[in-house]
Amino acid sequence: MNDTLIADAADAQVRRTATVESAREASAIQMQGLHKRFGRDTVALDGVDLTIQAGEFFTLLGPSGCGKTTLLRILAGLEEADDGRLAIGGRDVTEVPPHRRSVNTVFQSYALFPHLSVRENLAFGLKMRGMPPEEREARVAKIAEFIQLGDLVDRRVDQLSGGQRQRIALARALVCEPDVLLLDEPLSALDAGLRSQLQVELLRVQKRLGMTFVFVTHDQQEAMVMSDRIAVLNGGVIQQVGAPREVYEHPANAFVARFMGHDNLYPVSARSGNRLTTPLGELIAEAPGEGGLLLIRPETLDLLPGEVVGDNHLPATVAERLYRGSHAEYRLEIGETTLQATLNNRGRRLPEVGDRVTVTVAPEDLATLSE
Amino acid sequence: MRKRTLKRGLTAFWWLTLAFLYLPLAVVVLFSFNASNSAATFTGISLRWYHRLLGNEEILSAFANSMVLAIVSSVIALVIGCLIGYGMYRHRHRKLGWLIVLIYLPIVLPDIVFGISEMAFFVQVHRLTGLLQPGLPTMIIAHVTFQVPFVALIVYSRFVGLDPTLFEAAKDLYATPAKRAVHFMLPTIKPALISAFFLSFTLSVDDFVISFFTAGPESATLPIYIWGAIKKGVSPEINAIATLMIGAVAIAAIISLVFSRRRPA
Repeated sequence: MNDTLIADAADAQVRRTATVESAREASAIQMQGLHKRFGRDTVALDGVDLTIQAGEFFTLLGPSGCGKTTLLRILAGLEEADDGRLAIGGRDVTEVPPHRRSVNTVFQSYALFPHLSVRENLAFGLKMRGMPPEEREARVAKIAEFIQLGDLVDRRVDQLSGGQRQRIALARALVCEPDVLLLDEPLSALDAGLRSQLQVELLRVQKRLGMTFVFVTHDQQEAMVMSDRIAVLNGGVIQQVGAPREVYEHPANAFVARFMGHDNLYPVSARSGNRLTTPLGELIAEAPGEGGLLLIRPETLDLLPGEVVGDNHLPATVAERLYRGSHAEYRLEIGETTLQATLNNRGRRLPEVGDRVTVTVAPEDLATLSE
Repeated sequence: MRKRTLKRGLTAFWWLTLAFLYLPLAVVVLFSFNASNSAATFTGISLRWYHRLLGNEEILSAFANSMVLAIVSSVIALVIGCLIGYGMYRHRHRKLGWLIVLIYLPIVLPDIVFGISEMAFFVQVHRLTGLLQPGLPTMIIAHVTFQVPFVALIVYSRFVGLDPTLFEAAKDLYATPAKRAVHFMLPTIKPALISAFFLSFTLSVDDFVISFFTAGPESATLPIYIWGAIKKGVSPEINAIATLMIGAVAIAAIISLVFSRRRPA
C-alpha cells in the first residue's frame, strides 16, 4: 500500500513538474486508508482515502465527533494514525513528528505564547528552524505588512482582542511558509460580523499565496463560502467530496443533504419511469436516480397564486412566512405534509399566511438520494 | 445603622487578628534594639546586640550553615520538583491520583515524625555503607525531601493553568523536544520556579525539627543555635537574630507570593 502511494505520488510529481511550477506542487496531500480509534470503542476515522490538490482551499466539514479534527491533527502530526499512509508533496510523512513537517496550524484557541510579545510569537517558528535574526526580522516585517497587522506587533498578547489574536495566529503560521496550512475552526470563537469579515480576508490571503489550506468547520455556510472543495464527514467516514455547488445541489446521501441544510426529503413509495409517488403527490423528475428519498431544494420551488393544474403543480396552503428582505422563507402545507420554499423578493406580491397557492417545480430540479 | 455597627465590629476584629499574629514578633523586634540587658524594660534604642552578633563566631557559622543549607537544598529541590511537576502534568490523564496523595504526604506529615524517620534512615545507611555521616549533606537531603512536594505542586498547577494547545503549537512551529523545554516550557513557568525557590528557601530557613534530627556536631543552623542558646536564658542577642530571620523570611515569602501571582507578560 505504502509503495503504490509513493510510486503514484512520484509519478504525479514528474507529470506535474513538467507542466506547472514545482514550488506549489510540494503541497498536494494524499491519504490512504487512515484509521484512528480512541480507547476501545471510539472510532474517530474509519478508513479515509482523500487527495487534496496543491493550492486548494479544502474544507473538512461535519458535525462534532465526525473525525474532522482528528484528521487535521493527523495531517499536523499531533496525532498518529493507527493504520494507513499519509503523503505530503509526494513524501511519506506518516511517521514524521510535527516539528519536522512543513505544515503549520492555526489553532482554534489561537495558542499564542503568553510569555512572548507578538513579534516574538511571529518569529517563533523561524527561530526554532535556526533562521538568523536579521532574516527573521525581515520575514516578520513582511508578513506583518501582508496581513496588515500595523502596530499590533509591538503589543503584548494579553492586550489583543479575539479578532486580533486570530490574525496574529494566522500570521505566525504563514510566516513559516509551510507547504500546507491547517486551520482548526479558526473563526468559531468570533462574533458574526467579524467572522464574515475574516472569512473574506482568509480567502484573499489563500488566493494570493496559492498555498494549500485545509480548513475544519462544522458550519456549512462557512464551508460553502470559503472552499474550492469540501469533504463531508460523518462517523469517521467521508460521505462526499466535491465543490460547494456539487455538495449542496447534489448531495450524495440523506446525511449530506440534511447537513447542508435541506429539510425537504420525502420517501418515494412507488415509481413508474420518471413518475415518483410521494406524500406530496405524484411528481415527475427528469433523471430521478435510484434512491428512496426525494430531495426538493426550497429555492427551486415557485409559488403561483390560486389553483393551477398541471404536471408538478401541487395545491398548498401557506402556513408560515419568514420575511427576510431579499427573500422570504415559506412553510407550506400539502395535506398532512409540510414543504419549505424560498422565494426571491423581485417586487411581485409575496403570498400571505393562509393563502391558497400552487407549488411548481421543474423536473430537472428533482433527484432522489439514498438514506 | 446596624450595618455600620457590624462593619466597625469587623474592622476591629481585623485589627485584633493582626495584633494577635504580629504583636509577639513586634516585641522581639523592639527588644532587639533595647539598650539595656533587660528582657522586661525597654530603656532606649541601640544596635549593640547586632554588633555583638557580628563578633560571635558561633552565630556567624550557624548563619553560614543556614544559608548554605537553604540555598543548596532549594536549588536541588527546584530541579527535582520541576521534573516531578512536569511528569505529573504530562501523565495527568492516567489514573495517578494516588501519586498526588504520595506527593502531599510529606506536606501533612508531622515534622517530628519526618525528622525521626530521616535520622533513623541515615543512621542505617551510615552503619551499612559508611556514607552519610550526620552533617550538612544529610541535612540537605532531608530538606530537599520536604521541599520537593511544594515545588512539584507549584510547577504542576502552573502547567495545568496553561492552554494545552500551547504545547502543540510549539511542536507545530518546529521546536524539537529540547527547544520546547528551553524556549517554551521554562520561560512559561519561570514565575512559578522563582516562587517555588523562595518558598523552599523560607521553609528551609524556618525549619528546626527536621534539621535538629539530621544535623551533625559541626552543622548547627541558626534555629538550632537559638534553641541551644535559650537553654542558658533568653539574651537580647537572640532577639537580634530572630529579627534578622523575620526580615529575611518575610522578604523571601513576599518574593514567592509576588511571583506566584504573576501571570506571564
